[in-house]
Amino acid sequence: MKASEVIQLLEGLIEEVKTVGNRRVFATASKERFREVLQRLREKEVRHVSTISGVDRGSHISVVYHFDCRPCLLNLRVDLPKDNPEIRTITDLFPGAEIYERDLMEMLGVKVSEHPDPRRFFLPDDWPEGVYPLRKEVKQP
Amino acid sequence: MVGVAEFLFSTLIFPGLLFAAAVGLLYIGIDRKITGRLQHRVGPPIWQEFLDFGKLLTKEDITPAAAQGAIFDFAPVVALGAVVTVLLLFPVNSVQPALQSVADLIVIIYLLNIPAISMMLGGYASGTPFGAVGAWRYVVQLFSYELVFVLAILSVVARVGSLSVSGVVGYQLANGWLLFDPRLWPAFIAVVIAAQAKLLRVPFDIPEAHTEIVHGPLTEYSGPKLAVWRLVYCVETLAVLGLLVNLFLGGPVSHTIAGVTIPGVVDFLVKVFALLLVTTVMRNVMARLRIDRALRFFWTYGLLLVAVSLVLVVV
Amino acid sequence: MTVIVPVGPQHPALKEPENFRFEIRGEEVVDVDIRMGYVHRGIERAMQDRTYLHNVYLSERICGICNVVHTNTYCQAVEAIAGIEIPDRARYIRTILLELERIHSHLLWAGVAAHEIGFDTLFMYFWRDREHVLDIREAVSGGRQLSATNTVGGVRRDIKLEHIPRMLDVLKRLERETRRYLEICSSDPTILSRCEGVGVLTKQDALEVCAVGPTARAAGVDWDVRRDDPYAAYGDLDFRVVIERTGDVLAQILVRLGEVIQSIEIVRQAADRLPSGPIRVDPPTRIEPNEAVARSEAPRGELLYYVVSNGTDKPERVRVRTPTYGNVLTWKRMFKGCTVAEIPIVLASIDPCMACTDRVTLVDVERGRSRVVSLEELRRWKKW
Repeated sequence: MKASEVIQLLEGLIEEVKTVGNRRVFATASKERFREVLQRLREKEVRHVSTISGVDRGSHISVVYHFDCRPCLLNLRVDLPKDNPEIRTITDLFPGAEIYERDLMEMLGVKVSEHPDPRRFFLPDDWPEGVYPLRKEVKQP
Repeated sequence: MVGVAEFLFSTLIFPGLLFAAAVGLLYIGIDRKITGRLQHRVGPPIWQEFLDFGKLLTKEDITPAAAQGAIFDFAPVVALGAVVTVLLLFPVNSVQPALQSVADLIVIIYLLNIPAISMMLGGYASGTPFGAVGAWRYVVQLFSYELVFVLAILSVVARVGSLSVSGVVGYQLANGWLLFDPRLWPAFIAVVIAAQAKLLRVPFDIPEAHTEIVHGPLTEYSGPKLAVWRLVYCVETLAVLGLLVNLFLGGPVSHTIAGVTIPGVVDFLVKVFALLLVTTVMRNVMARLRIDRALRFFWTYGLLLVAVSLVLVVV
Repeated sequence: MTVIVPVGPQHPALKEPENFRFEIRGEEVVDVDIRMGYVHRGIERAMQDRTYLHNVYLSERICGICNVVHTNTYCQAVEAIAGIEIPDRARYIRTILLELERIHSHLLWAGVAAHEIGFDTLFMYFWRDREHVLDIREAVSGGRQLSATNTVGGVRRDIKLEHIPRMLDVLKRLERETRRYLEICSSDPTILSRCEGVGVLTKQDALEVCAVGPTARAAGVDWDVRRDDPYAAYGDLDFRVVIERTGDVLAQILVRLGEVIQSIEIVRQAADRLPSGPIRVDPPTRIEPNEAVARSEAPRGELLYYVVSNGTDKPERVRVRTPTYGNVLTWKRMFKGCTVAEIPIVLASIDPCMACTDRVTLVDVERGRSRVVSLEELRRWKKW
């Protein structure tokens, strides 16, 4: 799908839409409407999650889902409050996101509910609980 | 007294331990050099195996805590004893071997299996999954090539009508090499391939496939024990190829050129070298087979080849 | 009874430390558990504390083999947020370096694959030919591996006119050799018996687990970032995307060798059409708050950089998604029903680059602690 088609498809579900060229769409969605976006994408045969990025913005944590709509890349941002960053898993619709979500959990402390395998992936087993390396408050040694 | 001295000489020096070790290490060194050249590398110097052997002897000897100590320690020594004995039992210099016995072919077949069995025991005794998997694979491989190997020898025996190697060599002295008998060609092809499997060379290096199971049964061996294993491998190469030379290529024959008598052992070593070239090239133009394919290969094509020879010879 | 066979962190089949725990029954693999993180260097975090220019060199060190594509993608992302258009000549020079990198990376992989199936002669031949590519890379960029050519706003070093004939000469020889390898790999019986039908990834699975690069293309997914989301000079050049249908190891070999031939063709076209002009523009040191995503087709697949700026000279966040990271899940599907003998080649088949994948976290306290874990595991194996 081209950028314009993606925007058309998700009409009403996404805000702050920004297009760069005709192959990059940046948009945000609320935590509540976010599942509907996924379902619509899935219906249109979008199956490739390029990755999930987490960004600690100080006041909140942004989770950016990069969906490859071939050739357009949709970067869907969901902002989560820092005191309770919780979001539902997308692995039921996009199984390829499994490891990205495990990464998100251990690196930024985002709670991904209903994840099939919420163990650590990169961090060692004896890494202290509650220390999330990519959070702003963790200082580099 | 003379008998004892002679026995000690033949066991320890010629054609026993010292000779076997020197020639075996040198030949494997040459094998490595040729491999290097075939692979567009410079390759190690041909005496590299001696250096490796010496280096390993000086290294620390570690026995894993989980290993069955005694079996783990004695396996390489038993294997070495067995392969050196083989050299005493078949003609190396003249038609007469160092130790005479009746029906020595059967003894040789048994002795040539002892390194394999020791390696399996050593692998199981070493207490690692890699050793166990390697030993398990070795059992399967043994069951695949051994029948072909024995049947090929049996077709020679049926052809000549003698169960002793000197009998076979004597027959060839009188009637020409058995290799020139077309009825034995299939058996020869089969036995060369089986020898490749016996010597754990590509495509049959399955029990010690190092990208899969590290070093198979030898994974936990180190220092002097590994050095002995290395020696076993070198001497075994000499013994197996030497057996084929005796059975098919006429064995040691002494020539007289311009009044100078060249001893039979030179002839023997040249022939072994020729066979070594064949196996070296074979191991460099193939990929490793999977164990089930190796088994299937020997039980179909291998068996078919020797069966053809056996039938032709007997009928 | 199933037995757990550990592969890694140290194992001859792995060139880098990772841990796989295979549950095997006899020779058959029943399940696999993958653990990463043995070579974490904390690069993503480190990038937040360094300037945009400094990060070019940091991104170059994420992966030794595919360093050009890392710097290229990083620079693309930064250029996109800063709104810089790079000169045409720089785009073409980047393309040439990227494709030379793909050629040597694929030949490296092919050599490793041959080694994994016990075909050491072929392994040596592949690496002998790879050496020629490294030589021309050295001539063109000054480094056999790390080229340090890309920078924000263009490239730092120009390609000299006298290097081009030599480069084309080497590529001509290489093309002939590669075609011969293609023929050998698709006809040699021992190679076929080890690769055909081994480690199959179906197209369905490849789409499902978001496989990327040659791994996905071997399974029949028609997707190549170079063609579908063109960057550098790929939009101006003609090339074919190599696709196979079967998804087994053999298909991966054929796809990668086919891509080597295509890459040679791309380098030829790019060298032929190399425009003249400046090679770089000056980038700003501070970049206004913005965000950008850059993608490129690394030798191992789609590489993605997500860069967020915050108005200072340092990025707010750099997210790197390396191709191997995207392909980790494909292993789980490929290993189903494999035998122990096939583990190394299937492991190698996606061309894993672990150091790439493990770039994320912070390595600080208790560096040695991960060793304790593996020793504990070792003790467990012994009991068995």
